[in-house]
Amino acid sequence: MARPRSQPGTAEPEVVEPQVRPETEPDLPTHPAPRPREMPRTMRELRMQRERRPRTAGQPLENPLREGLRLERVPDPAAFVLFGATGDLAHRKVIPALYQLWRTNLLPHEFCLVGLARRDYDDDDFRAMIRTTLEDHARIRPLDETAWRSFSERVVYQRLEFGDAAAYDALAVALDERDRVKATRGNRLFYLATQPSAFAEIVGQLGRVGLDHEVHGGGWRRIVIEKPFGHDRESAYRLNREVGKVFRESQIYRIDHYLGKETVRNLLVFRFGNGIFEPIWNRRHIDHVQITVAETIGVEGRGQFYEETGAVRDVLQNHLLQLLALVAMEPPATFEADALRDEKLKVLRAVAEPRERDVARDVARGQYGPGWVNGVPVLGYRQEPDVDPDSETETYVAARLEVEDWRWSGVPFYLRTGKRLSKRATEISIQFKEVPHKLFQESVSDPEPNVLAIRIQPDEGIMLRFGAKIPGLGTEVRSVTMDFTYGSAFAVDSPDAYETLILDALLGDASLFTRADEVEQAWGIVDPIIDSWANMPAPDFPNYEAGTFGPPEAEALIERDGRRWRRI
Amino acid sequence: MATGRNGNAPSGGRSADLPGTRQVQGGPIAIEGAGRPGEPSLRWKSRARSIEQIEQELVRIWAQPNLTAVVEGAPGRHIAARTSVMNLVVVARRPETAQRAAATIQMLTGRHPSRTIIVSPADPDGPSWIDAQIEAHCMLPRDSAPEVCAETIFMTVGGDAGRHAAAVVAPLLVHDLPVTLWWPGNPPFRWGITDLLDLADRLVVDGSSWSENGLDRLRYLAGIASLDRIAIFDFALVRQSRWREAIASVFDHPELLAYLRHLRRVAVTYASHDQADEPLGTNVVKPVYHVAWLASRLDLGVRKALEPEPTARRAPSGRAARGLATRRGWTASLGDGRAGTGVVIRPIGSSMPGGTTLRLELLAERRGSELRVDVTAEAEIVRARVWRDGVEALDRHFQAPRRTDLNLLAEAIEAGGRDPVAQATIRCAGELAGGPIAPPLESHDAGYHGRSESQRADPRHNDGSGVASPPP
Repeated sequence: MARPRSQPGTAEPEVVEPQVRPETEPDLPTHPAPRPREMPRTMRELRMQRERRPRTAGQPLENPLREGLRLERVPDPAAFVLFGATGDLAHRKVIPALYQLWRTNLLPHEFCLVGLARRDYDDDDFRAMIRTTLEDHARIRPLDETAWRSFSERVVYQRLEFGDAAAYDALAVALDERDRVKATRGNRLFYLATQPSAFAEIVGQLGRVGLDHEVHGGGWRRIVIEKPFGHDRESAYRLNREVGKVFRESQIYRIDHYLGKETVRNLLVFRFGNGIFEPIWNRRHIDHVQITVAETIGVEGRGQFYEETGAVRDVLQNHLLQLLALVAMEPPATFEADALRDEKLKVLRAVAEPRERDVARDVARGQYGPGWVNGVPVLGYRQEPDVDPDSETETYVAARLEVEDWRWSGVPFYLRTGKRLSKRATEISIQFKEVPHKLFQESVSDPEPNVLAIRIQPDEGIMLRFGAKIPGLGTEVRSVTMDFTYGSAFAVDSPDAYETLILDALLGDASLFTRADEVEQAWGIVDPIIDSWANMPAPDFPNYEAGTFGPPEAEALIERDGRRWRRI
Repeated sequence: MATGRNGNAPSGGRSADLPGTRQVQGGPIAIEGAGRPGEPSLRWKSRARSIEQIEQELVRIWAQPNLTAVVEGAPGRHIAARTSVMNLVVVARRPETAQRAAATIQMLTGRHPSRTIIVSPADPDGPSWIDAQIEAHCMLPRDSAPEVCAETIFMTVGGDAGRHAAAVVAPLLVHDLPVTLWWPGNPPFRWGITDLLDLADRLVVDGSSWSENGLDRLRYLAGIASLDRIAIFDFALVRQSRWREAIASVFDHPELLAYLRHLRRVAVTYASHDQADEPLGTNVVKPVYHVAWLASRLDLGVRKALEPEPTARRAPSGRAARGLATRRGWTASLGDGRAGTGVVIRPIGSSMPGGTTLRLELLAERRGSELRVDVTAEAEIVRARVWRDGVEALDRHFQAPRRTDLNLLAEAIEAGGRDPVAQATIRCAGELAGGPIAPPLESHDAGYHGRSESQRADPRHNDGSGVASPPP
């Protein structure tokens, strides 16, 4: 029998031979033992014996040592295979997240990052590129030199044209070599930080060389796909089918980074971890819901991409509908991935698909013209590089949707998103119904309805607005706010969404990733909007000035219901 | 240091004036430089000699309309708020303990305690007196965040009042915020702590800093844990989480998990600087926690509490027998009703601080198959190696730096509620140490250390709940 070798500076192996012997024989008998005297004979004895018996006796299903530890599970040794490793997404988000996870010891020691891209780099070039990236984009700067050194030792680069079959053969060999050198045990996470058009090709090639195969004892294989998942329902279905030919659904992690944000995750805790909100979280108490994703940035040099995408595909189909699903869903039975995603899917199925005549009334679109943002003059959308001067692509969309189920019937959900707005803000606002009888009519100002605002960015936090008496002899009422901000309550930095999601993918937890049926259902909601617009006359774009709150059509959409947008 | 210049300092802990500040007479501190995110600055300092005066000073701090921080690019930023997180009460029986505690807490400004009260009992004879210094530190968590402030009260209490610390502390607690009681060094579990525990939601200690082998205090701590009313955070237990991560990771593998219920032996080796004539004087709280954690997670009861391993025989010449250095230690036995698990906790000469765990070994036997687990730590790496029937089955490294007192205190006061795993581990550790002893101890004259071994073992001092009662 092999014996553990002594470690330098530690104990001698002799310790494994203690003098104490177990007080009973360790092995269970292989044949029926004679009935001992203490064997229970009555029902009461049997019950009492079972009460004394540890509940977990017998074959354990879960590791009992895991309870209470920092993570439910330390990620397995793994190779992180990054396609599009020299691209913008990889350098702004994925690599900084990996470095931060490494720096905080949340990645396994037996870890390596394999960068794949078309550029003709060697390992040192790629490491130097990463170093520069991290100096600009790492969440905690300056870089921790010790952490960087150990991280960079685990980084390698391989040139790969996405359609080059031979390169994938070489990749398979290289990954086997990584398993040997870095003890990554055959576990591989493929991360596609590439143009969506390359997804199907990459997945097909991975399948061809067998890099999708999970064999017993040979490690797991997972694939992370960045949005957009398709261009419409049909293309999403095709993409899911293509990916599904190679990877099982349980191996696929579709990333929507909004789901990894701290406040979004807190939304579940807020709703289902507090007793006071869920009882009023329904049509009887809530007047309407507003969800806003406002950006000050424009298309940031991605004119060509945005021309084919627009605000509906870029934000409404994924971020906004995912937030809507989290706000409106029923409590899941468990916090497991599929239980959560089943409930979100039910909500998406309950959202009424807009009909053509509804689109004209319930959806407003806009495109920014020139203006001033953050004190700086900015171009209009049509003047942006790689944008058609007569473009009809929407940079703003506001929609009124209804969730037709028992809980939400009759409660409108107003969703809006836009580029080049006056302020960057993402917020979910729950507006409660007014009191049934206005008791304080003598007050100069009517108390406003209660609002619960969940801010996702910036200044993540939760705000509750309610009426309070102004100090003095009269009975004047004014709205005041109770404000919770993550910064002042915890004063610790929240992890970046990518850190959360990458760690979850390495741990095999798909709770915060979207499932194929969710994606297709969400396309089912936005496809009729896009189709209807295609059948309408050309819009009168641009219809809002950069640096404003959006087009007047959006104001009209909500004012028609006697409501108004929350000022962001 | 400001207090030194005044010459009227209480004898308790102090924090040095921070760069960029200067003191004015009993009140606000004018800021000379621009505040930088993450760096606390002293903004208020004053004195008081009664609870009423302390309360008045605290009110004065927040009544100052012109307490402003000058931040680069944003002059005149008003102090936003005191943090509303918790009260921290520190009992420091020695000035140097108070000083160390204050320095640690100051680094947490803006992150945690809303109000810190550092109590130093002084001469118990004579009339009661209080000498307090009130300070406010403020910090910008980051450029874009509002500034947050925290108060610190250094209080030296003499005379009779020193014996009633709770009566002095209670009126100063921020209403409706949880109270954490941090007792650095050796908590005097046998006197004076009970009334403070009544105020507290959480008790923070460092078992690895206790004098002698620490087992007696562990019994008292387990007694407090058994009350299930107060959360306990022991730095000694938390420091070892990196070991627990590594051990747990072994059994994440389904094929190895099946062995976990068939542990036959647990051996822990710890660093010792003991002399040969005082073989078991090293603090063993950390090694005991390893065993207690495993036992509590696996529902293994303590069949036989820790007792010294039989002393090694001496050779006729009077020289120590061969192998003496590794033969002394502690043994115990665990069991779950079916089989027993032997426990050995054994010292070995090492340059590491006494009581540091050096190695943990597990032996499990299941259906004729044997599993050996060997976990070691070196610098920031914990290594777990596993052999199944003599064949290596796993070899993993975990990068896990040791945590500082600052990290641990931050974690202690960040964590909300009781950690059932920690509570169960501490209770089990108490069982291993000889059985928990319940607070309160009503008699100061016949405290725990006044009891003989036989008294401690006497079942008449046990109320039947598994927790020994204090002596009459």
